[in-house]
Amino acid sequence: MVTRRDLFLLATAWALLTTAGVVLVIAVPLFPPPAAQEARVIDGAMGLLTALSAPVFALVVVGLGYCLVRFRRPGVPDGDGPPLRGHLGLELTWVAVTLALVVFLAFYGSFSLVELRAHAEHEQDALVVQATGSQWFWEFSYPDLGVRTREALVLPVGQRVRFQVLATDVVHSFWVPAFRVKIDAVPGLVTSVVATPDRIGQFQQDEDLRVQCAELCGLGHGAMASPVVIVEPHEFQAWIAEQRERQLRPQGR
Amino acid sequence: MAAFFPVARGVLLATIGFGAGVGLAAALRRASGETPALEPALALGYLFALPGWLLGVGLWEAWAREWFGLPVKELGPGGPQRYLRFTTDHKVIGVQYLITFLVLFLLAGLLALLMRLELMTPGRGTLGPGPFNSVMSLHGIIMIAVAVATIMGGFANYVLPLLIGAEDVAFPRVNALSYWLIPPVAVLLIVSPFFGGFDSGWTAYPPLSVVNAPGQLLFLLAFITFGLSSILGGLNFVATVVALRAPGMTWGRLPIFVWSVFSAAIISLTATQFVATALLTVVLERVLGMGFYRAEEGGAPLLYQHLFWFYSHPAVYIMILPAFGLALEVLTHFSRKPLFAYKWVVGSFLSIVALSFIVWAHHLYTSGMPDALHIPFMVTTELISVPTGLVFLSALGTLWLGRLWLTTPMLFAVGFVFNFLIGGITGIFLADVPTDIHLQDTYFVVAHFHYTIMGGEIFAIFAGIYYWFPKMTGRMYSERLGQVHFLWMFLAYNATFLAMFWLGLQGMNRRVAEYPAGLAGGNLVVGLLSFLLAASFLVFVYNALRSWARGPEAEANPWRARTLEWQTSSPPPHTNFAHPPFVHDHPYDYGVPGSVHGVIAPGIHG
Repeated sequence: MVTRRDLFLLATAWALLTTAGVVLVIAVPLFPPPAAQEARVIDGAMGLLTALSAPVFALVVVGLGYCLVRFRRPGVPDGDGPPLRGHLGLELTWVAVTLALVVFLAFYGSFSLVELRAHAEHEQDALVVQATGSQWFWEFSYPDLGVRTREALVLPVGQRVRFQVLATDVVHSFWVPAFRVKIDAVPGLVTSVVATPDRIGQFQQDEDLRVQCAELCGLGHGAMASPVVIVEPHEFQAWIAEQRERQLRPQGR
Repeated sequence: MAAFFPVARGVLLATIGFGAGVGLAAALRRASGETPALEPALALGYLFALPGWLLGVGLWEAWAREWFGLPVKELGPGGPQRYLRFTTDHKVIGVQYLITFLVLFLLAGLLALLMRLELMTPGRGTLGPGPFNSVMSLHGIIMIAVAVATIMGGFANYVLPLLIGAEDVAFPRVNALSYWLIPPVAVLLIVSPFFGGFDSGWTAYPPLSVVNAPGQLLFLLAFITFGLSSILGGLNFVATVVALRAPGMTWGRLPIFVWSVFSAAIISLTATQFVATALLTVVLERVLGMGFYRAEEGGAPLLYQHLFWFYSHPAVYIMILPAFGLALEVLTHFSRKPLFAYKWVVGSFLSIVALSFIVWAHHLYTSGMPDALHIPFMVTTELISVPTGLVFLSALGTLWLGRLWLTTPMLFAVGFVFNFLIGGITGIFLADVPTDIHLQDTYFVVAHFHYTIMGGEIFAIFAGIYYWFPKMTGRMYSERLGQVHFLWMFLAYNATFLAMFWLGLQGMNRRVAEYPAGLAGGNLVVGLLSFLLAASFLVFVYNALRSWARGPEAEANPWRARTLEWQTSSPPPHTNFAHPPFVHDHPYDYGVPGSVHGVIAPGIHG
């Protein structure tokens, strides 16, 4: 029969596995290095959800493993177990705890989403970049600056950017892994997402600084990626000036 | 060779029908002053080929004759031939479904290996991106069909009438029709590569699915046909459970597997029409040029995504609910204890059915849908973890203090609980809007749904195969090989797909043949492990074939289980029971002195 020793062993194993899980979450970076303020909100959410998963996972796995070891019978069992049909207190507790977790997650998720999209009040300072997906390349245009390019997405560090995302043929999806932001490019719609790059970097050093198409769009889908380059504001101004000059010369295009 | 007569006649009539359809399409095009085109010809040809096929395989003798006032008749003798024609016995149909879908499962598994072969290197590999997209899409849709129909078509057909003490399902001819709609689905999908394949995944989002190769049309016709089969199957199980329960088989005494099939059947009966609408509009756009999804003609590509997921999210519960039921069924018999929290589990199945209809837009968090709409869908999706959590409570409570008999089916059921736990927990990351914005369309999603469907449902399917193998074949499988299969598959499975979570977190996006060089190591590891996983199925195939041919004869009830299917011979006679069963007590009352679930004896109704 079940003794205090059983429950003690179960509780200890659960606590140990949970601690190990939480330590692992803190020690091992789950995601590659972020490069935008928005990425930090998402990384925070990711860490919290993973830490919360540890006790849940540990509870079921420890329970499962313990039963298999403790209650296993060699060969055909000689009789039946006790006719235990349920336990109202346990059932109600179980539902209450999962419901409490859901309520917490719902609030937490909603507040993180609000934080992620908290941009309306800064709308006028944002740099607008239009990203247009076509089979199978991206084109970036800076409508306020009169520049258009297919080579790379160049952005100044520390500047809030509003991406307006369009598609010319099929559905694509605008995704910069290092920014953690993703929004589909849908023919007939202009979708939009905000990101604020917060460190210098470029694709050649960091493969997560790329605009990757994330919605299956046919033959060239996997290769539909453009480099992202994040530079100091004065370098950005210089780049814009150079691009304008190039676009004025017909042969330069 | 006479055994192949119905199938051969079906093929012949289908060919004639196809020719007629093609001719009609060409005539219609000419009449409207246009040159004949491939896709209208394929669509109309198929529309005429399908009834030809069905009449040919035996629908004529078994059913259609009475539409013309003629008496229906049996097509030839029983025996093994009955598996190759329109047969109404639910046990025959169950076996037909199981074998068809196991073969498709292995075939689509080979397609997965082709994909892993391409992904061994970051650049263009053995396949190249075009064939990769076709192989990936074909793997996806075949596995979706396997996941929807193996338990519902296979086990539910074979076992459900036995479990409730019925002679057959409510509509045996509709049941046979459901099965015989499947071979055309398989044929359409398998020949699609000869028409350029389809490269839009199993989701077929327009406008891509409107502008790509003609293989896409075959996919759409196949999926619509499969949906019809699924609706008819759902109708049959709902009606069977409502109308054909044996005397004494009250709703409160229904085996949990029956409850799970009943719940899933409600979804297939009522949700499948939506995906049919979505697919049909794409067919009409391709064949007749209607502009449902062309923005420049006022069409809306997002509309398709809503319609598609309005079915396709509930559809994952058509896949997983019967797997819950199957795993719990096996766990309780081999723990030799009543199913813990039976009524709570029934409640959880029914609430999952209800919730499943209001979560679809969590597939659209990055689609451009307004942010304010994300939150309600996040909440409903997360709410599903409450009823799902009860399934885990039931599993643990049933094992606790049990007398565990760790046979192969029991091991697979325990493996199901472990794998589905990981699948369920990782689902929370995708239900949460902020984390999903990053994880959407990465390998994290791929790993997650493989944990629920392959680690979950496929493990439950293997639990079912081993559990009911003696009942269906009348022979015992090799327990030692069964355990080797479990251990090998369990370890290789978890290694392969845990590594995929890591790839996803590192920024590997799904449905790509090429990826950044930094992800090469992880992909190589996953690729090698996937071959190890595939090899585990060889053990199963060998064990199943050898045991079916030469295994020791099985007793009527080798597991000493209480439910009705074990109270009749292995395999059961044509009408299932020697006498109509009468049900007394709860099916899972192990350890209750003097409790009997079913009595099968003459005269008990007198």
